[in-house]
Order: sequence, then C-alpha cells, then structure tokens
Amino acid sequence: MQLDAKIPGGPLAEKWDRHRFELKLVNPANKRKFEIIVVGTGLAGGSASASLAELGYNVKTFCIQDSPRRAHSIAAQGGINAAKNYTNEGDSIWRLFYDTIKGGDFRAREANVYRLAQVSNNIIDQCVAQGVPFARDYGGLLANRSFGGAQVQRTFYARGQTGQQLLLGAYSALMRQVGTGKVKMFPRREMLDIVVINGKARGIVARNLITGEIETHTGDAVVLCTGGYGNVYFLSTNAMASNATAAFRAYKKGAYFANPCFTQIHPTCIPVHGDYQSKLTLMSESLRNDGRVWVPKNPEDKRRPHQVPESERDYYLENKYPSFGNLVPRDVASRNAKEQCDMGKGVGETGLAVYLDFEDAIKRDGKAAIEKKYGNLFQMYEKITAENPYETPMMIYPAIHYTMGGLWVDYNLMSTIDGLFVLGEANFSDHGANRLGASALMQGLADGYFVLPYTIGGYLTGTTLEEVTTGHSAFKESVTSVNDSIEKLLSINGNKTVDDFHKQLGHIMWDYCGMARNDEGLKKAKGMVQQLREEFRENVLVPGSKKDFNQSLERAGRVADFLEFGELMLTDAISRQESCGGHFNEAYQTEENEALRDDENFCHVSAWEFTGKDKEPVLNKEELKFENVELTQRSYK
Amino acid sequence: MNWLASTLLSSIGKKLMMAITGLCFCGFLAGHLAGNLTIYLGKDAFNSYAEHLHSLGPIITLVELGLLFSALVHILTGATLFYQNLKARPVRYSVNKSAGGRTLGSRTMPYTGFILLVFIVLHLINFHFIDKTDTTIYQIVHSAFANYVYVVIYVFAMIVAAIHISHGLWSAFQTLGANHVKYMPFIRGLSYVFSIIIVLGFGFLPIYLAYIA
Amino acid sequence: MTKTINLNLKVWRQKGQNKKGRLETYKAVDISTDMSFLEMIDVINEQLTHKGKEPVAFDHDCREGICGMCGAVVNGRPHGPEMGTTLCQLHMRHFSDNDTIVIEPWRSRAFPVIKDLAVDRSALDKMIQAGGFISINTGGAQDANAIPVPQEAAELAMDAAACIGCGACVAACPNASPMLFVSAKVSQFALLPQGKPEAAKRAISMVREMDRLGFGNCTNERECEAECPKEISITNIARLNREYFKAGFLSAEK
Repeated sequence: MQLDAKIPGGPLAEKWDRHRFELKLVNPANKRKFEIIVVGTGLAGGSASASLAELGYNVKTFCIQDSPRRAHSIAAQGGINAAKNYTNEGDSIWRLFYDTIKGGDFRAREANVYRLAQVSNNIIDQCVAQGVPFARDYGGLLANRSFGGAQVQRTFYARGQTGQQLLLGAYSALMRQVGTGKVKMFPRREMLDIVVINGKARGIVARNLITGEIETHTGDAVVLCTGGYGNVYFLSTNAMASNATAAFRAYKKGAYFANPCFTQIHPTCIPVHGDYQSKLTLMSESLRNDGRVWVPKNPEDKRRPHQVPESERDYYLENKYPSFGNLVPRDVASRNAKEQCDMGKGVGETGLAVYLDFEDAIKRDGKAAIEKKYGNLFQMYEKITAENPYETPMMIYPAIHYTMGGLWVDYNLMSTIDGLFVLGEANFSDHGANRLGASALMQGLADGYFVLPYTIGGYLTGTTLEEVTTGHSAFKESVTSVNDSIEKLLSINGNKTVDDFHKQLGHIMWDYCGMARNDEGLKKAKGMVQQLREEFRENVLVPGSKKDFNQSLERAGRVADFLEFGELMLTDAISRQESCGGHFNEAYQTEENEALRDDENFCHVSAWEFTGKDKEPVLNKEELKFENVELTQRSYK
Repeated sequence: MNWLASTLLSSIGKKLMMAITGLCFCGFLAGHLAGNLTIYLGKDAFNSYAEHLHSLGPIITLVELGLLFSALVHILTGATLFYQNLKARPVRYSVNKSAGGRTLGSRTMPYTGFILLVFIVLHLINFHFIDKTDTTIYQIVHSAFANYVYVVIYVFAMIVAAIHISHGLWSAFQTLGANHVKYMPFIRGLSYVFSIIIVLGFGFLPIYLAYIA
Repeated sequence: MTKTINLNLKVWRQKGQNKKGRLETYKAVDISTDMSFLEMIDVINEQLTHKGKEPVAFDHDCREGICGMCGAVVNGRPHGPEMGTTLCQLHMRHFSDNDTIVIEPWRSRAFPVIKDLAVDRSALDKMIQAGGFISINTGGAQDANAIPVPQEAAELAMDAAACIGCGACVAACPNASPMLFVSAKVSQFALLPQGKPEAAKRAISMVREMDRLGFGNCTNERECEAECPKEISITNIARLNREYFKAGFLSAEK
C-alpha cells in the first residue's frame, strides 16, 4: 500500500494553519451526535478525552488502572520543553523544531515536528491555567532550566515531578468532564480488540479486570493512547502494567506498526541487583553534569571503589570524548557502559554497572552545593540501594526507557485503519530514531490538547458512518476470538509461570536487540523468540479463572503479545541496515563509533503490515523528505 | 437544606461546632478556676465570691443556659462523630500501630468526654442542685471532700479533663483553620500548659480541703 | 551487603467484595534484603502459582513511588514502617530474620475490598469530579506568564500537589477520613490565583461529596500526616477548613 502521510502543502511554518483552515468543521450541535472511544489516560489520552468532551463530543474513556491518574506519564521527572524564549536566549519555534528533528537523527517527519514545536507554547499556557504548580523565579514568573544537552533553557518543570503535575492537570480536566457526564469513565478495563466494520474502526472489546466480563463498546472513532512497548524487555523504567497489547491488536486488525526497533536506552538507571527484580528506576541524567563515570582499568577487579587507586581507574567517557566527556548523549553513554561491562570491567556484584563518582565534585564545590542540586536523587538512590552516594560512588547502568516506534499515523494522527487515531508514545511520529529529554511530555499533550481535537472533526465530517450496534457480527467475532484466546491461556496448565517467560524474552531482547545490535545476533534472537513463543503456547501456567480479578491472566495476555511483537522488533531491526539514534547496528558506525546513517537507502519510515499469525509481515515505506533542514552527522569528540 | 444547616452539619461544620463549644468550655474553666482559687484565701473569701456570683442574677442564668446549650451541642455532635467514625471502618485492622500522630489525648477523646459528662452530672448534683438555704458553699465543699472517695473521684476527673483538653484545645485551633507554621508550636504548647494548669489548679483543691485546710 | 532473611507472612485473603476474608500464613524463605516489599510478594506469588494456588492480588504499577497505585497495611502501618515511603519503595533490609509480617488491605467503608489486598478507591476520583479542577477549556488560556505567582505560594501549592492519591491517609486515619487528600487538592488551587474564581464552590462541593461517600470525620489525630508517603502537612487541612468556612458563611455559594 502507498502510505500517504497527508502532509499539507505550503511553507513549513504555514502548514498547520492552512490545514486547520482546510479541515471541515463539525457543527457544534452535531458534535453531541458523535461518540468517541479513548483508550488510555496518560498525558495524551487524558488531554484528548477532556478536550473532545469540552467540544461537545460524547466520550468513553478506558484505562487499565483503578484511576485515570495512575498512567505512567506520572513518572516523568525532568520537564517539558516549549519555545517560549522567556529566558531571552534566542530560542524560537524553528530552533526547537531543528533540535528535535536533529536529535531524532533525521528519521521523523518535518511537518509533524514543526507543528509540535508550534503548539509547545500553548501547552504551557494551558497547564498554568489549569493550576499546574510549575517552578517560579523570585519575581513570580516561570523558571526554566536547560535539559538533555539543549543549548537554551527551554524546559519548564515542577520539581522532579513534572510528569505527575502535568498528568494531574489533564486528569483534573478529564474528571471535570466526567462530572458533567460528557465523559463516561471505564477504569480497570483492558482493551483486547479493535472492531473494524467496513474498513473503519467502530468500537472496541475490553475486559473488565474486576469481574472478568468481556464488554463491547461502539464508537464513531477510536483513539489509542496506550503508551510504549518498553516492557518487551521485562526490565525497564516502564510501569508494571505498561504493555503493547492494545497497539499490537490494532496492528493485527490492519494498523501498520512503524519503526518498532527504535527504542531508547537511558544511561543513568540504578543497576539490576537480582533475578527477582521487577523493574528499573531512573536517576535523572542531570547527575552527569557533576558525576564522573569510571570503571577499573583491569577486568575482574573486585576491590571496593576506594581501594582502586587513581592510576588504575578508567574514566572512559572523558578519555574517549575529550570535548563532551561525561555529557555525551544518552545513546552514546549507554553503549559505552555496555562495552566496558562486556570487557569484564563492570563493577558491583553482577558486574553490570559502572561508577558515577561525585568525589571530585564534592571536593570542588563542597557537599552542601552537591546536596542542593541532587539531594533528592541521592536520597532516592540511598533508599533503594542502602549506599550513601556522598561517600561511595553511585553505580549506574543503562535501561530501556522509551520507545520511539509505534503505530504509523498520518499528519492527522490517523492510522492505516480509518477512524483509528493514535496519540502519544503509542504512535511513531515525532521523535524519529531518538527522543530528546523533556520532549515526551510535550508530544503527549500536543497530540491530545491541540492536534486531535481538530483532525478528528475533519475525519468525522468527511466520512459516512452507518449505524452500528454491538450486535453486529464483527463484534461477535471479536468477542469470540478474545474469549478463545483467554480460555486457551487458562487451559494450557503448564509448568512455567508467565513471569518466567517474560523474563526469558526480556533477556533475549536485551542481549540481542538492546544497545548494540548485529545481524547475526538479531537473526539468532528471532529464532529464540519463535521457540520461546512455541514453548509459551504449550507450557505456560496461568492460575485462577477468567470471571475474576486475575492478574496472572492479565499478564499472560500481554506477554503472549510481547512474544509476537518481539519478533516484529527483530524483523524491523534486521531490515534497517544502518545505524541511527537508538538503533545501533555494529556494522554501521563511524570511525568514532557513532551511529552511521544511510540516508540514501534508509531515509524512510518502516511501516509493517500484519499478514497473518506467525507469518512474516510486509514492509511498507514512507519516504522522509527534508526540505528545510540539512542532514548532518553527529559527533561528540 | 438551608445553607446554615448544611454548612454546620457537614463533617467540617460538626468539627466547627465541637471547636467553638470546646473553646467556650475552656474559657469557662479558666473563669471557674480563677473563682475557685479564692478558697486559698479562706472560707470568707470563697463564700463572698459565691455570693457575688449569685448576685449577678440573670447574667448567671444566661451563662448557665449558654453552657447548657454548648454542652448539648458538644455532646450530641461528639456522639454523632463517634458513631459515624466507628461506622467508617466496618472491618478493623488486626494489627494497629500509630505512626506517631496520635496522642493519649486524641486517642481517648470520646471516652474522656464520656467520663467528663458523668463527672459533670455528679458535680452538679454535689454542688449545684443542692439545698443551700442553711449552709454556705464552703461548708458544702468542705464536707464533701471530707470523704476521701470524693477526693479520688475529683482528682481523677481532673486528670481526665486535662487529657481531654491536651488534644481538644490545639485541635480547636486547627479546626478553625488557625494552623500557621509560626504559631502552631506555641498553640500546641499552650494546650499542654493549660491542661497542666487545670489538673493542678482544680485537682489540688480537694486535696487541700481534705488534708490541709 | 546483600543477605537473605526468612519471614512469616500473614496475608489477608478475600475472594471478593462481599466474601469473608481471613489472614493466611505463608513462609517467605531466602528473601534478599535488597528486594522491595512488592518484589517479596512477587516471589511468594510465583511460589503459590507453581503450587497450583492463586497468587495474592495486590495493586501496583510504577514501582517508583509516584503513581499511588500500591499500598497495604504492614504490621499496622500503611505503606510499612518507613516514613515518607510508598510500599514499592520499602526494602526488605528494614526487616529482620524470622520477623512476622501482617499484611492487610486499606480498610474503610468507602474503599471496599476487591480481592485480597486490592481495594476500590474510586471514591477519591469522585471527590475530584466534584470540584478538584479549574474550569477552563482547552485553548482559552492566556500567556503563561501573564499572572505572576509568588514563589512561596507556588512552592506551597506544589507541596500540596505532590499528593499521589494512594489513600494511605484514609487507611491511617483512625476515622478513615480523607481530609488530607481533599485538603491537598483544595489547598493547591486556593494558593494559586488561577484557582481563586471557583474556590468557594470547590470547597463546598468537595466536602459535600466526601461526606456523601461514607468516609469518617477528621478529628485531628495527625496519623495521616505521619503516614503520608509524600509527607503532606495538615496545615493543608487547616487551609481547607478556612476555605470551607469562607465559602459556607461569606460567599453566596450554597
């Protein structure tokens, strides 16, 4: 299929304005005749539900947790970017656009990224008006900080809890609409299928996680805001319930999945400390401003850090990248940590960690200064590890943090299924092959507050929607297939738990499709995933019953999807014979070990089309055209 | 519902009534104690204080009615709170442990309150609703505390009152919204000081009358 | 250094909302002291699953102390014995070998048990629906810097806004009152100029909804403040009271 991104014509800066003018409007009186289903209540889903309801649409909103306020957007720490230029440093919409598209290693659409930069300012206005308590200067105006290596201070923040505050803002707007009755809220529901009738998304099938009942809901459009797929690695900084099921089942119904191999690995997480570990915790990357990263020079050096003399320490980032030193971008820092550990120079009990040492910073600036900057982070580190980072160097290791890939969407955020819109981390659109710090919050809210409310109207006016009920055969088929797969999972009654399989899958993905990849490993992993999937289908043990609050069953469904999705990631990684951003194929690197793009052959979005269970998917390409920026090679020496 | 009723009968409104009537009692106790201290000046001083008080006539009746009304409000609201709060947790924890917020006073408010109610009835029977035609108030008090059982009851009641006040006084300020980082430590201190004044001031009187005077 | 401990667990098991529950005893063997409390339950659940029994149902999600989904009463203390810590951030090094640990769900009439340790906290959402928001529609906002907010007010508002809605205040309160939760939201908006226009309506509607939902009344026991994993202060409750009296006696709001 020829993918049409529906990018409006005209100069870059005018595209969005022109598009909004060209989109047909839905008469206010007619909006109440439409019913929109929104799945997920993070920044994208929460803001979209509220904004659609404010416009007059009837909205049904679903979330997997007990309350819409728990979505994992809440865990974002650092901040949100906007091109306000309050700091008078010469920031502009164009600069934010350029930084974002370059940071994404030129694998995102110009028009989408420019629009994102344009609406970034409206987001801040909106959030302040909602009562989000952003940090302020003594004069009472908003404070900004620099973040993620940006050369201007454009990041707005609320202590280390920016994601929480923005989410609670969107949540409160959503709750207001629930109160008015315009939004009907369905918490503790898991979407298990999209219902497509005459080529259009017309409803969903969801499981009530308390009663186990399979419910059907009709709608005139479906909006997926279900986050990323980082938990395919088992250990990640994602929440425990974060999963790919909704997106993956949409993929099986005809939505293309774009760039699944683009995953982001964050360099400063607290290392893994045992097999029982359930998740990883991120430490803000601001720590690298003052901490020095090192490992012992000699492999298998098991001495305590203080016993390793200065001459036997390898400050590998400073040595290798004299100008950027410890501040190299996330992907570079992560890969180098892995390289050191692969050489046996890793520290800690598992050998999978490197030191982040504040001794010099404390000597230089004093303990008080360091405490002021990082006190809360040091405290969090101590709570988890029981080690005092003022005295002993921190141990850190990279972890999966964000996934840039997602369902393919056009400029209107609509997938290849008509009427199925995808927002936030669940879509692929704005971050290319690598996301910059403080950009995820911006994108989620941009999609939900300021993009979808316009574009969905354009779809609804431009299409004819016949009356459908949940009695339609498509709903019945969907319910049957959902029920069958649930019963299958419960009937296998094997020997290994869901977590056993999930952990195994995570190891495969991390080892072969993690920070550095090569063709041989990827192909091997593909075989391993297929094999593991077969074993899962014969030997998984899922206790309990289906008509009950059954958390094992919930996880089993998600892991079953991850076992299929993992293979899709590997397929994508194999097909992309270049390195870019988070996708680093060892065969393609510069002399300086940086990702080497192949703009001639791979300047495209890889959108995968489902062809049948366990069959090879078909690759569709959307060529990326860069008319406004010049494609350059990153270097940090 | 009428705005006043709906405001006062809400959970915060009920607390407001508890706080205001409680503060009235604290004020009354302070006045009562000041008067009672005249006992230390001898029986004539005490009797003349009592006579002076009675000569105020309608003012006293008004104050008495006010106190009675406050008591009714305090008791009825307190009982409602106690009942509602009990119902709010139908299944109790099998292990209960405080994180350090609760105090002896806060933990026992309904129970100390009930004991005080019983005591007040007894106290009124002893000293208020008693035939005072042929005797002076000093004689009544003196003869009552000749019985050491009364001494024990009164001292015990004053300890209970102090415990009740140790939470009630600062709590009233908190309920009225008067919690400020600068002043709250002082208010909490005041609650304890006031409780100690009550227990020493009132509690020592029976002992003084029984064994010293 | 990592060591392992053995524990006796007494865990509340209850099949459903209207079913009778009871404490069941499990042995937790070779528990690493580096584990989080929830990871310890994970281990127990894996064992139960292998034995063909149903694992313990419990709510959890982010496991980094911010989503507010987790929580259980551990030896009489919501979120366990550590101050300012959610259950997911509580680590087993705070327990000793052969300790007995009693694990119970939040107990409140307004939080019915769904299963085992999982409870229904939708009452918290209902109170927010009643008024825990500023009524502005998307798109109508003025420039973010148009209204300066004193730094002190912004900081106090942030202190209150840090609430994660876990319900530990209700669980800890001897009266099962959610006043700390309600006061945190009312305070956040009362402190900011953006929240002023609706302040009276918000205070009245949220308190009324709180009363309707069957929670207990605040009696200033201060257990909520002591147990709150985000260490939210009861000065917010005093502020809520002020806001409520202002609304009830001085505004035209009914």
